[in-house]
Amino acid sequence: MLKRSKLDIAIIGSGPAGLAAAVEADRRGVKNLVVFERDELPGGILRQCIHNGFGLEKFKEELTGPEYANRYIKMAESAGIDIELNTTVLEIEKDRTLTSVSEHSGLRKYECKSIILAMGCRERPRGALGIPGTRPAGIFTAGHAQRLINIEGYMPGEKVVILGSGDIGLIMARRLTLEGAEVVAVAEILPYSSGLIRNVVQCLNDYEIPLLLSHTVAEIHGDKRVEGVTLVKVDTDWNPIKRTEQYVECDTLLLSVGLIPENELSKQAGVLIDPKTGGPYVNDCLETSVEGIFSCGNVLHVNDLVDNVSNEGELAATGAYERIKGKTLGRERIMEVEADEGVGQVVPQKISGDRETIFYLRVKKPMGKMVLRVGENFEKKFSYARPSEMIRLKIPKKIFSQMGPSVSKLQIRCEER
Amino acid sequence: MAKAQSVSPAFLGECDVVIIGAGIIGAMIARELSKLKGKFALIEKEAFPGFGVSKASLSQIHLPDFCPIGSLKGKLSANAPQRFKKLARELDLHYREVGEIWLALKQEHIENLWEAKKRGESNGARGYEIIGPEKIRQLEPYVTKKAIAGLYAKEPGVLYTPEWTFALTENAVQNGVSLYLGAAVTGIDKEDDHYYKVTTTRGQIRARYVINAAGLYSDEIAALLGDADIHLELRKGTMLIFDKSVSSLVRHMLFGTFSEKHSQDIAPTAHGNLILGVHYVKPRNKKDTSVSRENIEETFKLGKELVPALREKDMITSFSGILCTNNKASDGDFYIAPSEHAPRAIHVLAGAPGLTAAPGIADMVIRLLVEQGLKAEEKKVFHTRKESFPRFESAPLSKKEKMIASNPKYGHIVCRCEQVTEAEVINAIKRGVDTMDGVKHLTRAGMGRCQGSFCGSSVLKYLANTLGIPATKVTKKGAGSHHIVGYTKQGGESGAGEC
Repeated sequence: MLKRSKLDIAIIGSGPAGLAAAVEADRRGVKNLVVFERDELPGGILRQCIHNGFGLEKFKEELTGPEYANRYIKMAESAGIDIELNTTVLEIEKDRTLTSVSEHSGLRKYECKSIILAMGCRERPRGALGIPGTRPAGIFTAGHAQRLINIEGYMPGEKVVILGSGDIGLIMARRLTLEGAEVVAVAEILPYSSGLIRNVVQCLNDYEIPLLLSHTVAEIHGDKRVEGVTLVKVDTDWNPIKRTEQYVECDTLLLSVGLIPENELSKQAGVLIDPKTGGPYVNDCLETSVEGIFSCGNVLHVNDLVDNVSNEGELAATGAYERIKGKTLGRERIMEVEADEGVGQVVPQKISGDRETIFYLRVKKPMGKMVLRVGENFEKKFSYARPSEMIRLKIPKKIFSQMGPSVSKLQIRCEER
Repeated sequence: MAKAQSVSPAFLGECDVVIIGAGIIGAMIARELSKLKGKFALIEKEAFPGFGVSKASLSQIHLPDFCPIGSLKGKLSANAPQRFKKLARELDLHYREVGEIWLALKQEHIENLWEAKKRGESNGARGYEIIGPEKIRQLEPYVTKKAIAGLYAKEPGVLYTPEWTFALTENAVQNGVSLYLGAAVTGIDKEDDHYYKVTTTRGQIRARYVINAAGLYSDEIAALLGDADIHLELRKGTMLIFDKSVSSLVRHMLFGTFSEKHSQDIAPTAHGNLILGVHYVKPRNKKDTSVSRENIEETFKLGKELVPALREKDMITSFSGILCTNNKASDGDFYIAPSEHAPRAIHVLAGAPGLTAAPGIADMVIRLLVEQGLKAEEKKVFHTRKESFPRFESAPLSKKEKMIASNPKYGHIVCRCEQVTEAEVINAIKRGVDTMDGVKHLTRAGMGRCQGSFCGSSVLKYLANTLGIPATKVTKKGAGSHHIVGYTKQGGESGAGEC
C-alpha cells in the first residue's frame, strides 16, 4: 500500500502563482501544506526569464525573473514551507486525493482539504499550427530556446526567423541578438503585435529587427537542419496572398505563437474548462467547478504580468483557507459573468457579489477610445485597448449590492466611444 | 547496436545474406533469418532502423478485405492479426487489439461492405460480421449518424511501427546479425560466381545473397543489380495526430471511403492518441515528406465526415509518409521475386499494406532464398528478445512502485506530457538509441502535446552524457541534423550548462 498523508493545502507548481499562494496560506496560519515542483529548483518559468521588468507593481522596482522568484522563495524558506522538488503530480481525483512521484520518495498519496492548481502553461507547438514543410532539426518554441540559452548555455542557432510576436518571441529576438545570432525577422500573422508594446520597442526596434505584420511562414525548408523558410503576406482572413512569397535563409525557426494553460491534471479531477481562457471556470475566490480545488496564474488564464499572477495566487490561497475553515464561499447567490460584445475572455466567470472583485479580461481586437460596461451600473473609460494587454478591473462590493437580488447574469461588454 | 560513424571504404565483413533496408520489412526478414545458421547483415542508410517510411506508418494491422482476390498482398496478409499477436508475445511488444469497422454512410455503399467481406474471406481471413446502425452506435457512440452499416472484425489492431522495427532489429542483432546504420549503398558488383561486393558509405560487404528491401529506394538498388526496368509510383499520404484528451471519440479503426485521393481512416494509436488519415498527393520526390495546409485541411475533412465531433484544435501534429507501387505487378500488388538479371538477388517491392504483410513477406523471402540455394538449417539456440522497455506511464500503480524500488530513476518524470521517466530514456540510449528522434519514437519523450518544448533540453543532456559526447554533437535524426549549434558567450562544456 502506498504511503498516505493528509494535507490542509496542496499547491501544484512553485512558479510565481504557487509560491505566492504558499506564502499567503502560511501567513494565514495554514501550516500543513506542501508545494509540489517537478523541476529541480523552485521558481517555475521565471528561472529562465533573466530579463528585467518584473515586479513593478508588487515590489515597486524592476527585477529580473529569477530575482522576482527569489523574493518569494526567501519568504517561503523563512516560513519553513515544504517545497517538494523533482516531484511530479501524476493524478488528482475528484475527492482531492493526489498522487505524486519522485526519485527520492517514490509514489505518495495525499488526501487534501484544498488543492491549488498553479501548473502554468505550455507553448503551442508547430504541429498544432500545421506549418507546412519538412521536419528538420532547428525548429524550437521560443520558451525551449530560452531555456537552452539561459539555463543550459547552449545556442540553438545562428540565423533565426521568429514566427509570432508573443512576448517570449520578442524577448528571445533580443536575447539571441545579444548572444551574437542574427535575427532576420519576426513574422506576425495578425496586423498588430501580439506582445506588449514595450517589448516591441525594447526588443525589436532598438536592435533594428524587422517586425513583419500580416505575415506567416508558408513553408519550412531543409532536410536535416532548417535551411530556410518561405514567408508570405496574408489577407485579413489569414489566407496567403499570392506572389508575396519570399525565401529567407536561416538555420533556425522559433515559434512564439501562443500559450495554452496546462490543465491535464485539472481535467482528470473533473474540473470544467472555459474554452475562451483554456483554464478552469472559477468563482470570485478562484475556486473551480470542483469544490476545494482552486486555480491561479497561467493555468487559470495566460497573464502578461507576473504581479497579477502573484495576486491571483494570494486570492486562491485566501479561498482555500476559507474553505478549510468551513466558511461558505458566497455560493448562496451566484451571478454568471459573461464575456459579451467585444470582450474575448473574462475571469472569474462566476461571482457572489459579496466582496470586492477584480475582473481580468481581454478585448477581442485592438480598440481606440472605448468604454467598458459591467452590467447596468458600472462603466470605465479607456483611451485604448489591445488584446495583448490584459485589463484589470476592480469592482467595489457596493456596485454588486446595488444590483437587485434577481440579477443572475452579469454581462461585460465594451464599445468604442 | 552498431554505431554509424566511419566513412572510409573499409571492409566490413563477409556474409551469406545481406539485407538492404532496415525498415519494418527488412527487420522482419533479418529476425527470421537469424533463426538459421549462417552469417547475415542488415544495412540501413538512415541513422536508425525504421527511420525511412516505417516511422511514418499508420501502424495498423488489417485484414486483407481491401486486397484483390488472389493477390499476393492479400495472401501474405491473411492471418496478420494472429501473426502479430504471437510476435508481440515473443518480442514483449505492444499490440492493441482494437478491431475495425468499415462504415457505409450511404445505401449504395452497403454493397461495398459485402464485397469487402467476400474479398477478405477469399484471401483467407475470418471473423467478419456485417453490423447495423444500433450495433455501430453501441461500439462507437460518436460516429456520424449517417453510418447505416458496417463491416466489423474484432482482431485487427494497432501497434507502433518504429518500436517494432527497433525490437525486431535488436532481436536479430542479439542472434548474430551484423547491423550497419548510416550505410547507404552506392554500388553492387558481382565479385565472382558466388559473391557480390556491396559498397556502402561505411565500407564494403561481401555477400552471397542480396535482399533488396530498400522501400522507396528499391528501384535504385534494383538498378545497381542490373534490373533497370523496375519503377516505382509514389503517393504521399498526410496523417494527423490528435491529443489524448479526445481519444474517447474513437475506439476502433474506422474506415469510410477509399479512392485514388484518400483512404478515410480514423483510429486509436497504440499509445492512446487518435490518428487520422489519409489524404494522398503526388510528392515532388522521395524525400518530399512536407505537409501543406491544404493536405491538413483535406485530411481533417475526412475525419470530420466520420466523427463530426472532431476539432482541429485538438490536433497536436501532422506528418506524411510516402507509399509506393511498382510496375512489375498489376493492381498495385506486391512484387517479391528473384532478380531477372542478378542471380541470388531477391527484390521485395511491397507497398500498402507492407506492415500488415511483413511477417508473411519474411516467410516468403526465406522460401525464395532456399529455392535459390541457401541452406536453411535452424540454429540450436535462438535467443528470445530481452524484456522490452518497461513503461512507467501505462504500468498499474503496484508495478510502478516495484519499478521505482528497482531503479529510483523511474520516479523522475522527464517528459510530463507522456509521463516518460529518466530511467526509460537512459535505458533506450543504453540499448542503442543515439538521436533525439530515436528517444522520441522509442520512449515517447517529446511525442506528446508540447512536442518536446519542455523535455527537449533534458533529453539533449541525457544523450550527451550517456553517449559521452558534447551536446553540440547530438542530432535529431543523424549526421547533419544537430540540435544546437554551439554555446552561449558564457556557456560551454563546463559553463552555464552545469548548474
